[in-house]
Amino acid sequence: MLALTPHATRTLRLKAWSRGHDHALIVIEDPPREAGTATLRVGTNLWNYLPRIARTIRVPPSMMLGSWMGTDLTNDDLVKESSLRQDYVAKLEGRVVDPPGWRLALEVRPDVVGRWSKIEIQVTDDGLPVEERHYDRRGRLARVLTFDQVKTLGGRRLPTRVALVPADEQGRRTELHYLDIAFDVPIPDDTFSLSRLEENR
Amino acid sequence: MGSTLRIAWRNLWRNRRRTVLALAAIALSQALVLFYGGILRGYSGWTVEAITGPMLGHVQVHAAGWRRQRSMDAALAHLGRTLAALRRDPGVADAHARLYAPALAAAGEKGYGVVVLGVEPAAESGPAGLLRVTPALPAERRVLVGRPLATRMGLAAGDTIAIVGSGADGSLANDLFVVAGLIDTPVDLVNQMGVVMELGEAQGLFAMPDGAHEIVVHARQPDEARALAERLARLPELAGAEVLDWKRLEPALVALVRLIDQVWLFMLALVFIAAASGIANTMLMATYERIHELGMLLALGAAPRRIVAMVVAESLALGLTGALAGSVLGASIVAATRSTGIDLAAISRGAPRELSFAGLSVSMRIYPSLALDHLVQGVLAVLVTSIVASAWPAWRAARLEPQQALRA
Repeated sequence: MLALTPHATRTLRLKAWSRGHDHALIVIEDPPREAGTATLRVGTNLWNYLPRIARTIRVPPSMMLGSWMGTDLTNDDLVKESSLRQDYVAKLEGRVVDPPGWRLALEVRPDVVGRWSKIEIQVTDDGLPVEERHYDRRGRLARVLTFDQVKTLGGRRLPTRVALVPADEQGRRTELHYLDIAFDVPIPDDTFSLSRLEENR
Repeated sequence: MGSTLRIAWRNLWRNRRRTVLALAAIALSQALVLFYGGILRGYSGWTVEAITGPMLGHVQVHAAGWRRQRSMDAALAHLGRTLAALRRDPGVADAHARLYAPALAAAGEKGYGVVVLGVEPAAESGPAGLLRVTPALPAERRVLVGRPLATRMGLAAGDTIAIVGSGADGSLANDLFVVAGLIDTPVDLVNQMGVVMELGEAQGLFAMPDGAHEIVVHARQPDEARALAERLARLPELAGAEVLDWKRLEPALVALVRLIDQVWLFMLALVFIAAASGIANTMLMATYERIHELGMLLALGAAPRRIVAMVVAESLALGLTGALAGSVLGASIVAATRSTGIDLAAISRGAPRELSFAGLSVSMRIYPSLALDHLVQGVLAVLVTSIVASAWPAWRAARLEPQQALRA
């Protein structure tokens, strides 16, 4: 993962496990200064494990919109990823020629309290995302996610680069590069537990 | 003229008790004005030192925008090179860097908001340093904690605290530190919020190699801070940085000091007026008392002008003698108190030894110093007062009919 700011570029190597839509564990492997720092998600709860002080800190609700590890991702992004289908009403906007695919507009359901009022998604004919544009509650463009470098990883074709560019902050950008993925691997139940988080790092 | 002066001097000692009283009044007034002016000067230097000493310095360097946002990544890079360039300037007495990082500190379960201060312990341990006279701070994961903060957190020397913050690059800064000692510094912020560590250690913790947020410069000539700031800003190493002297860094403090100075000046003026009216009173009485005698001289055929000249000369001689005696007295009081200082805390019994002034605590001890211009002004004022206070009644007496004057 690359986090670019006007002052510096920071590169992190991460290893992540996930099960279903509400269990995830992300561990920083490199650089050595941050190695072992981990984030555990169970449901809508989030904990950060700090290896040097050997402590787990729960991310409080007030920090959900704060940056995750100094990147342009927010803690909220790690928690809320699965709710597109439940929280939004999708509408087909039209064809896109290059690459051939569709453009969708997702309007938030009136009873949902969320960060985005509207999300525009562009997908290819084979169902891969190309671009997502997120609009905040006042209808202003907040950030753009682009997906590219489609490759076969772990037996599936998927975009291996995701770039997130906030609209209101000049010079900031976060990129995720997928190096390797394995699907449908058995994961021990205790992977997503606090005790495992604390004892094994 | 010579005879007038001689007669005047002889007249002065004819009424010895009156002259000694008048001399004492004048000398005491002059001594009081000098001593008070000395305290005022000491006080003014005292507030400026309290402000520029430990916290501000005379000139500060920051990355543009840091003072407004205090964001971690608005840092000065290439610190070593910049410091070397600053120290080469002949007007710079010393320059050292500080790093400020908001963080959470925890000894047990509960976290406290703190400010981690990365400092150069050697540079900050002097009398004008942030740490004043605390023991040197070793590196190796050791920190000093402000005493009130330590009390709040229940910390003692030797305890281990965890510090969690955000690095300049956005990474999670976290590490364990041993409390090497508790500190009482002249700066409230450091006492209430401060976790002080060695600069290199803070740079490592917050991912700011060779970086800092602030460079504090002490000038060789504090009065020339502004010119120094302007000169330093032109250094190529400081391109893009914000270089400001302390008056522009803290205009509110400067205004406050100026206000206090004016109050003291006003009080000096009051002391001065009181002294002058004391002298005038003595002179007026001394002259009126002698209207009878002056009438006698008139009756004997002395010219009115000669009488006025004689009385004024007498009064001038009295004033000058008194002013000189007072100057000697005042200067010796100032000289006696200048090295030990005057302990205001001891005078106002039960008052605290230190006073908190705009977030800086300062000692209640004032070191007076003698100002040559106060001395000259005092002597001149005594002379003017003596002339006016004697010439007017003498002139009135000289214009009287001798017969009237004799009966007065």
